[in-house]
Amino acid sequence: MSTPLIGVSKSILKIKELINHVANTCLNVLITGETGVGKEVVAQNLYAESARSTKNFVKINCAALPETLLESELFGYEKGAFTGAHRKRPGKFQTADKGVLFLDEIGDMPMALQSKMLHVLQSGEFSPLGSDQEFRTDVWVIAATNHNLEESIYKKTFREDLFYRLNIIKIDVPPLRERKEDIPSLLEYYYRLYKSEYPDNHGSKPDSDIITTLCNYPWPGNVRQLQNCIKKQMVLNSWKKIIEELPREQVATVAEIETDGRLKDISVLQRNDVADDRTLIISKFVDLSTSSDKLFEDISLKKIKKLASDRVEKEVIMFVLEKVGWNRSRAAKILKISYKTLLYKMNEFEIFPPVK
Amino acid sequence: MANPNRLLIVDDNEDILSTFYEFFNSMGYEVKTAVDGFAALKLLRDKSNFFDCLITDLVMPNISGVGLISIVKKEYSHLKIIAMTGYGDQPGALASEAEADVVLFKPIDLFKIENTVSELINQVKANTKN
Repeated sequence: MSTPLIGVSKSILKIKELINHVANTCLNVLITGETGVGKEVVAQNLYAESARSTKNFVKINCAALPETLLESELFGYEKGAFTGAHRKRPGKFQTADKGVLFLDEIGDMPMALQSKMLHVLQSGEFSPLGSDQEFRTDVWVIAATNHNLEESIYKKTFREDLFYRLNIIKIDVPPLRERKEDIPSLLEYYYRLYKSEYPDNHGSKPDSDIITTLCNYPWPGNVRQLQNCIKKQMVLNSWKKIIEELPREQVATVAEIETDGRLKDISVLQRNDVADDRTLIISKFVDLSTSSDKLFEDISLKKIKKLASDRVEKEVIMFVLEKVGWNRSRAAKILKISYKTLLYKMNEFEIFPPVK
Repeated sequence: MANPNRLLIVDDNEDILSTFYEFFNSMGYEVKTAVDGFAALKLLRDKSNFFDCLITDLVMPNISGVGLISIVKKEYSHLKIIAMTGYGDQPGALASEAEADVVLFKPIDLFKIENTVSELINQVKANTKN
């Protein structure tokens, strides 16, 4: 049985309505949202409301498997395709035929596989590893990610063409802290669910004070974190203890949560920014989208140093030339290099004066 | 005067939307607008035979222009479709694949698009007469 989409917030109601309108179109769907918000629940609801609900719902997590394994899981393989392939094995594209293929964490799919994915999405055909035959498949692809794919495209870790092909319908699930009004109904639902699963446990329901406290907590782990809290309550039967054990700086008063929560977000952002800046700078000189083996082969400090210094040199020369109205001997003097060197460098970097 | 031609214009940029609305209104069209694919789909489901032509942007939240075109082609095949894109080749190519009648690249000349609209609609009218 699939989990219903719980909530009364505007955003959840809109998602429900959208699901209802698109479930039978079988157009590719991209579900985005932070970890634990319920992206898979949205996918299951799409499937349950579609005409494909009698067929398979096949799920694969693109972040959990190494590249080669992910490839053979998706496309399958023939007997003898590689060492250890003792018998042929169908891939997810085959088992999901006429049904749904849910690609979780699509943002973590390696580039090489992304192009293979694109091929299947374009042509509806794929070939298992070690096979020269193309098989037709009719799968409804629903993909999910907590990455910002537009950013990944910019950083060249996600293919733009694949993004547009998946992003035909986009469902964004907001984090729980942006839809606090859903918290009481989620508490109610999961309390009942776990109570029915463990009828011998006597964890009490949250009273209205506890509910208020829980509503004011920012839930960085979203619905999944909330579920875990209720499970814990079933065993501990002490809301006081559970609330105490929530990541500390974020509980206490509402005002504190606001500032603390925001401060924490900023520090996380800054840390990400540093890492992002780094990959951005490096990606100007090396193709970071290749597999790590190939990448390590490509990285050479000497080569990158030359590329980077050339680039800066070119910009500086252009800058000075433009300032002095392309008077080359003046530019050479300012740059403190000989006129001949300047001409040589202009030639090497293909710097030409503007055509009037 | 005969029935005015009816347009559904979809774009998530409200400035573009109001410019198009004013322009086509002044040209004698009856115009409805929607800010994304989902809003447009709801309008269509509500009045399926009302519109003659759909003009849609491609990159939009929830239901994209490409998604909307695919749905319209399947469910409301009488509607003529013009896709507009400002995002390079990718979405435009997908719109053609989804069988939009015309794909235009932004920035778009309003008089040119009006020409295209009237050509497409007249084409339908001529066909239905014959």
